[in-house]
Amino acid sequence: MTMTLLAARDLRKTYRLGRVDVPVLRGATLSVSRGEWVAVLGASGSGKSTLLHLMGGLDRPDRKGGGSITYDGRPLDRIRSNDLDRYRAADVGFVFQFYHLLPEFTVLENVLAAAMILHGRFGFMRKRAALEGRARELLAAFGLPHRLGHRPAELSGGERQRVAIARALMNQPALLLADEPTGNLDRATGETIIAEVARLRERTGQTIVMVTHDPEVAARADRIVHLRDGRVGE
Amino acid sequence: MYQALLTRRYLTSKVMPLLAAVAVMLCVAMELIVWSVMGGFGDMLKNSGRALIGDVSITYQPRGFAHYDDLIARLEADPLVEAATPAIETAGFITLPQNRGQPIYLRGVDGPGYARVTNYAQSLWWKPLAQPMTKDTRREDPRLRPDYAARLREYEEAGLSLTLRRPEDPEPHAAVVLGIEIGHFNSRQPEGWYDPYLFLPGQDVMVYVIPTDSRNRPMDARGLNFPVANQVRSGLFEIDNSQVLIRLDALQRMLNMDEARRIAPGGSAGSFVRRVNPETGREEFVQPQEFVTDPARVTSVLVRGRGADQVPRLTAVKARTEAIYREFAAAHGDVPAAEEVEFETWRDKHATLIGAVEKETVLVMFIFGVISVTSIFLVLAIFWSMVSEKTRDVGILRAMGAGRAGVAWLWLRYGLIIGLVGAVLGGVAAYSVVWNINPIHDWLGRAFGIVVWDPRVYYFSEIPSVVVWWKAAIVLGGGALASIIGALIPAVKAANMDPVRSLRFE
Repeated sequence: MTMTLLAARDLRKTYRLGRVDVPVLRGATLSVSRGEWVAVLGASGSGKSTLLHLMGGLDRPDRKGGGSITYDGRPLDRIRSNDLDRYRAADVGFVFQFYHLLPEFTVLENVLAAAMILHGRFGFMRKRAALEGRARELLAAFGLPHRLGHRPAELSGGERQRVAIARALMNQPALLLADEPTGNLDRATGETIIAEVARLRERTGQTIVMVTHDPEVAARADRIVHLRDGRVGE
Repeated sequence: MYQALLTRRYLTSKVMPLLAAVAVMLCVAMELIVWSVMGGFGDMLKNSGRALIGDVSITYQPRGFAHYDDLIARLEADPLVEAATPAIETAGFITLPQNRGQPIYLRGVDGPGYARVTNYAQSLWWKPLAQPMTKDTRREDPRLRPDYAARLREYEEAGLSLTLRRPEDPEPHAAVVLGIEIGHFNSRQPEGWYDPYLFLPGQDVMVYVIPTDSRNRPMDARGLNFPVANQVRSGLFEIDNSQVLIRLDALQRMLNMDEARRIAPGGSAGSFVRRVNPETGREEFVQPQEFVTDPARVTSVLVRGRGADQVPRLTAVKARTEAIYREFAAAHGDVPAAEEVEFETWRDKHATLIGAVEKETVLVMFIFGVISVTSIFLVLAIFWSMVSEKTRDVGILRAMGAGRAGVAWLWLRYGLIIGLVGAVLGGVAAYSVVWNINPIHDWLGRAFGIVVWDPRVYYFSEIPSVVVWWKAAIVLGGGALASIIGALIPAVKAANMDPVRSLRFE
């Protein structure tokens, strides 16, 4: 087992807006070790979220000269679409600024949805009791045991983000990718959420890459990298 | 798994998918109602056509063939054949009371035998009725009147035997039974019963036929007076406006087709005998002569098969009838060969009419099918809008690891459920309408004066309908399929959404 879990080398990503090519990442390189908490600091529009999406397999680098990303030795930029789906389901947990919970599902169902996607219909049915137990445990750990049957619309912002974190952790992913997890919360709630993430990290040694523009949030990480003009610098 | 859960939630939390289900429901119901009514109409025509000719007819026109009793005995000995009866079919003319007259299609039959082969007994109109017709709520049908019952029973018996006994004349007379529409002496009421302007049973009519000689050349027209025994209603206007039934023996005599004695050359061919001419006293050679009997002839034998309602069985009865006729022709040298004789099923006889109705059904179904295609576009429009609205959900699912196929299946499955719900509801709605189509029609007539199927025009007192389960299954399956097709493009759109853009969707 190597110490490096995720390695992004010379990542380039260009978006096309109308007739104009807008380069967002211009050769970003970042390496994340197992159990490490890396905070990516950068101004708005610096490409933080794009970097996270590429690392999480939600997007791919440019076809030509787009660089490479390897996860546990596997080249994410070259694997098939199905394998990338599997990677997102099994190895990565996403936490977004705007929570991104499914509004029609209850809190418990939102957390279980991740397991449903990973295990498929029959796998989920077989392990249903165990999976449901884990989802309840996670939600209880985040202080939401009384909210299992509620819809996201009935929760506060902090509660929604806790549900999103529980969902991200449901499949016990090796890598947690958080995109401005406190960006939509008031300071106090944001601090609570970060404290909970820190406790989780202490307890489980979870690898975390957290994108933020808040230096105080970034200060909780093991390492801070800065993203400027599409490049990473320490 | 997540697809099933999301489908259930989308179904119960949104109004739009219910609109899609309603669109499918309406199209399914419309198709099913039209197919059931047209199918019922077609069945009614077929049954009416079958009612007066049986299943298969053996016909040799115009001379007819002899020894038909033997043919009937051979036919009735076969397990495929239930009954057979002789008949003569010919053109004629009738003069009616009030100096009315018209060309007719004359059918000479043996009443009881004819009733065994056809639904003749049920088709006789003037007979006592215990219960009124469905729409005759005011019980105005004269056949219901108790004071007419005895007389009507006499006419019913007279109709069955085609023999009428007049009160003033103890001799039974060969009689005729006219189609109910002949001469327009009966006025058909909206409730389906007939109000006789002139009650024809008991009246005399003149029937004319043109017999032919042994070379099929027409001879002078021959007319005879017959009392009307009853009237018959088959359900086919063309038949009820032209067909006259007459007792077989009477028509045989009119057409010179009855048993007859004639003088024929006797002895062996070319043999002559010496004989003294009593007038001249001279001896001369003459060919010997003898009396021979020509057997009675008929132009047709009508056959009723066992369980010949279905086309394959009907075809089997026809084939068997043909085979039996071949054996019969081989046994009798003086009957036409099978190749000269026409073997027709009731479907063959009414092929033009049945074909027209079947083509109309196909045409109407095609038109309504095209209209139903709109349900595909309705589902497409509704799903397109829903997929757009749920773009972020697609992004969330993709971020959690859902593949393109899984996302596409979510929407296809959703379309399938909408289609199934719509199809089942449409089936239930159609079944309810078809089951109650006559009460609904009556209510429309009472409440708004809308009478679409007027029995005076459409010649049936009740709207016919029949729900055939395989047809219902096709329509229901088509409804569900239309919904899936409608959901296909939105599903592909959802599957191809860029997850990053989807997550940023506002």
